[in-house]
Amino acid sequence: MKKNIFLLIILMVFLSSCVAVKEYQKVYLNDPDMKLSSQENERFESTFQVYREGASGANGGKTGGGCGCN
Amino acid sequence: MQLSFSSLTSLLILCCICATFQSGSAQIIDSSKVYKKKVLENTEIDLLMSLYKQDGIHSPVNGGIGTENLADQTATIIVSIPLNADDVLTVDAGISAYTSASSSNINPFMVNSSAPLKSLSWSKINGIITSGASKGGGGGGVVVNPGYPVPPATPGIPTGTPWLASTGASHSENLKNLSTNYSHSSDDRNLIWGSNISISDEFTYKSFGFGGNLTKLYNDKNTEIGVKGLVFLDKWRSIYPTELKEKLLYGSGFQTSGYFSGVNILDQTGTIITSNSYNPTGFVPWTSNGRDSYSLSFFGSQILNKRFQVALFFDLVLQQGMLSTPYHRIYFSDKPRYYIGIASDIPNYTSPTNLGVYQLADAIETLPHSRFKIPMGVRMNYYLNETFVLRSYYRYYYDNWGLRAYTVNLDLPVKLSQSFTLTPSYRFYSQNQVDYFGPYETHVSTEKYFTSDYDLSKFYTQQYSLALGYADVFTQFRIGSLGLKSINLKYSHFDRSDGLNADIMTLGVKFVDGEKK
Repeated sequence: MKKNIFLLIILMVFLSSCVAVKEYQKVYLNDPDMKLSSQENERFESTFQVYREGASGANGGKTGGGCGCN
Repeated sequence: MQLSFSSLTSLLILCCICATFQSGSAQIIDSSKVYKKKVLENTEIDLLMSLYKQDGIHSPVNGGIGTENLADQTATIIVSIPLNADDVLTVDAGISAYTSASSSNINPFMVNSSAPLKSLSWSKINGIITSGASKGGGGGGVVVNPGYPVPPATPGIPTGTPWLASTGASHSENLKNLSTNYSHSSDDRNLIWGSNISISDEFTYKSFGFGGNLTKLYNDKNTEIGVKGLVFLDKWRSIYPTELKEKLLYGSGFQTSGYFSGVNILDQTGTIITSNSYNPTGFVPWTSNGRDSYSLSFFGSQILNKRFQVALFFDLVLQQGMLSTPYHRIYFSDKPRYYIGIASDIPNYTSPTNLGVYQLADAIETLPHSRFKIPMGVRMNYYLNETFVLRSYYRYYYDNWGLRAYTVNLDLPVKLSQSFTLTPSYRFYSQNQVDYFGPYETHVSTEKYFTSDYDLSKFYTQQYSLALGYADVFTQFRIGSLGLKSINLKYSHFDRSDGLNADIMTLGVKFVDGEKK
C-alpha cells in the first residue's frame, strides 16, 4: 500500500515537469482512440466486472450504488 | 424519507426544466459577448445496447454451489443537449431485463410440471415480502438449463436443486435507471463544474444518487486536475430464502405451518423427521435495509508530448449499512443437514446430477456494516503511428475487508481506414479473498461474519475483446435531422478461474443533430 502511494507521488512529480504541447500540435492527442476516459458502451462491461469481481473504482466511472446481487 | 421511482423521475424532469430555463437567460447575456466556441456544438444522441450471458457453478443463493446461469439485455439512451455556449445537460435513461437462475432459487421448491400449477405473485404478509409459491405447485414448471437432464417425474412431491433454475417469482426482473448531469465551463474553458442526480429501481433494490464534480485545466490545457463527489442512498427489499421467510412468518412451529404444512423434511440419511429438529437459529432478520455509499474521486491527467498522455485516478469510498445480500444462504459445518425433495439425491447433493433435493439454509450471509475502499489507477495512451494506438490501464485496489486486487488492461486500436478501427483488447484481474469468505459448508455457527459468495473469493479473471468502430466526422448518413457520427460494436469473453464464464456483446450508435458538415 505505502509502496503504491509512493509510486503515485513520484509519478505526479514526474508529470509536473513536462513541457506544454500547443493546441495546434494536438492532432494525435485529439484522436478518439487517445481518450483518457472509457467509451460510452464500455459502461456495460464495467458494470458486470464490478458485480463479478470484488474490486471497483479508480477508472473515472461509478464507484457505488446498485446491489450487484444477481 | 421514502422516495418512489415516479416522484424521483418528476424531480429529475423538474431539474431539466430549470436547467433549460436558466440556459434561456444565459443565452441573452451571451449575445452581448464576443463569439466563443460552444462546448458542445449540437445535440448528441447515444443509443447503447448490450447482451450479456454468464454461467458458473458457485451460486451464493445456494450457499456457494449450483448454477449461476444469467442472461441480461440492456438498452440505454443518452441525450446531451447544449443549453448555451457554456452549459451542457445530459439525460441518461436505461432499462435492463434479466433472467437469473441464481436468484430464482430464493424459492427453489417446485412441483414437477405434471402436477397442477398455481399462478405466482409477490405479496406482503406481516410486512414480509413473499412469493405466492407453495407446495401445491407454486414453483410452476421447471426451467431446465442446456446440458442438464430433466428432473424425475414425481407429481405432487415438492423438489428443488441448486443445479437448476426454478420459476420462482424472482426468476426474471427489470432494472430501470435514469440520471441527469449538468455541466458548466468557464469562458476560457479552464474550469468545469457539474452536478448529477440519478435513480435506479429493481425489485430487490432501489438506488438514489447525487453528486458534483470540479475540473481545472492548466498549462495550455496540458494538465488537468479534478475532484468528484458522489453519494448513493440505496434501499434493499429484505427478501429471504423461502424456508427462512417461513420461520419469520410463523415463528416456533413453522416446520408444520404455511409452506411446510404437509411437506416432508428429510435428514442426511433421507429419513423423514417427525420433530421440529430443523430450526435455523443462526438466521437473524434484518432490522434495517439501507446501504449508503460515499465516494470522493481525485484525478489528474498530463500531456507528456505530442503522442503520449497519462491520467491518474484515486478514489476514497465508504459504504455503510446492509452490505450483505438477504437471500444468500449459508450452511454451517457444525449443524445437521435437512432437505426437501427426493431422498435418493442426497448423496449427490453437491453434484449437477442432483436434480431433486434442496438443502434447507442455516442462516443468511452476514457481513460488517462498513467497508472502506481505496482504488488507485493509472491510464497511459500512446499514439504509435497513423495505424496503431496503444492504450493501457493499471489499477491497485485495497479495502478493509482484506481484499487486495490489481487489474491490467491493454487495448491496441488498429486504424483500418479513415473510418474503420479494429481494437483487440486483453484484461487481467486478480484478487485474494475477503476475510469473511468460506466455500459451501465451511463456516461454523460461532463466526460473527460469513459469506459463500464467490465474487469475494480468491480468483483471477481474463477477458478477451474485439471491437469494430466506424466514425464519420462529416455525418453523411442521415435520418431526418440526425447525422450518424459513429458506431461501435464490441464482443468480450470473460473467464474466471473458479469456473464462471461470461460473454457480452455491446453496440453503441451516436447521432448528431444538425446540418450536414
